[in-house]
Amino acid sequence: MPLEILLAMVVLGIAGIAILTIWLGFGRRRALSEDTSQADWLRHFPEDVVRSVWISSDAHAALVLTDRGPGLLWAMGADTTARRLSDAQVSETASGLDIRFADFTAPRVGLRLDADARLVWKRMMEEP
Amino acid sequence: MTDTLSYPDVVQLAVPLFIAAILAELLWIAWPGRGGRYETRDAVTSLIMGAGNVAEGLILGFVAWAFLMTLWALTPLDLGTSWWVVALCFVLDDLRYYWVHRFGHRIRWVWASHVNHHSSQHYNLTTALRQTWTGTFTFMIVMRAPLVLLGFHPAMVLFCGGLNLIYQFWIHTEAIRRLPAWVEAVMNTPSHHRVHHGRNPRYLDANYAGVFIIWDRMFGTFVPELDREKPDYGLVQNLGTFNPLRVAFHEWLAIWRDVTQPGLSLRDRIMYAVAPPGWSHDGSRDTSEGIKAKHLARHPQDAGTPGFR
Repeated sequence: MPLEILLAMVVLGIAGIAILTIWLGFGRRRALSEDTSQADWLRHFPEDVVRSVWISSDAHAALVLTDRGPGLLWAMGADTTARRLSDAQVSETASGLDIRFADFTAPRVGLRLDADARLVWKRMMEEP
Repeated sequence: MTDTLSYPDVVQLAVPLFIAAILAELLWIAWPGRGGRYETRDAVTSLIMGAGNVAEGLILGFVAWAFLMTLWALTPLDLGTSWWVVALCFVLDDLRYYWVHRFGHRIRWVWASHVNHHSSQHYNLTTALRQTWTGTFTFMIVMRAPLVLLGFHPAMVLFCGGLNLIYQFWIHTEAIRRLPAWVEAVMNTPSHHRVHHGRNPRYLDANYAGVFIIWDRMFGTFVPELDREKPDYGLVQNLGTFNPLRVAFHEWLAIWRDVTQPGLSLRDRIMYAVAPPGWSHDGSRDTSEGIKAKHLARHPQDAGTPGFR
């Protein structure tokens, strides 16, 4: 197959499928709730005991306090991923908090939080 | 001896089929109540990984070709090109695939290339195309050497490998539940391969087959899909990025960081590269055996059931 045709097919195919998934409603990020976040966390860390869950303003992230320290659960498309916060750097932004992990597979997460929640979350994240 | 033999590049020719089948699966899933899942960024990442895999083949394919043709020049055997030779080559190449795939899950150096195929939390036809960009560097091409030395022409070996890859495309779907019993007994199916993509402790390191599931039955790695335990797709530690560069190279970087950390013996450094994923010199991480053992400690009732034997 000529390279130009292959290239055009690949580019148009990816673009077309992307547009179709959005049009069909598959582009939405997962919304987290207190009820589901505990199970979502245990899916990633099954040996933990979850003590409490705090949901971000946009419902796309949750601060999870466990017997092994605080962790962050966040929406990855329609699913979730999670990391412990022990090595994370937390800084404030205009809209919430910016979390930087020392992890090539999860470098950074932006959290949307109002001003009051920002301070509370930051304090809880820094707890051992 | 047959020096000039050519077969079509079936994977390239199948690209329109891949796109059409994905569109059909998307529309099928969009019909309410039929199950299956798609997500835009996940699907786009998978498709970019697939495009990168084709590009890698175009750029580095000569390495594999040169290696196999060198062996072809050395071997005194030539089985010719009759249909039964192609059929035999296809079956033996599938056995070769089984072992390469098993190594891909049990040797970290090979896993570093294969991990990206398992990095989606979805299981649909785009997941099939989430292929490696770094396969050349695993050196698993050596696993094709016996076929060439036995007298199968390198072009035929690569042709059969392409057919094998195309077969595996359609089994990456939740749209098909189970096939007739005789098919499930002999062939790799969507049900068997869903198990392979499961991150559930029960389903780790199972069902390595490409086309024929008989290899897993023969070598003791077969685990059936249980109706009571739906596969949870993805990695033991799922990625927090859709960036294709991070998807493609993250495990290679992790190996580099582990191997070069200070204070290790030479053996430890080598083990970080070749031991099963999850191995660590201080036991701070879990291999699949450790994950299964911890699961059984929490759920002892699962002992002796499929995946925990």
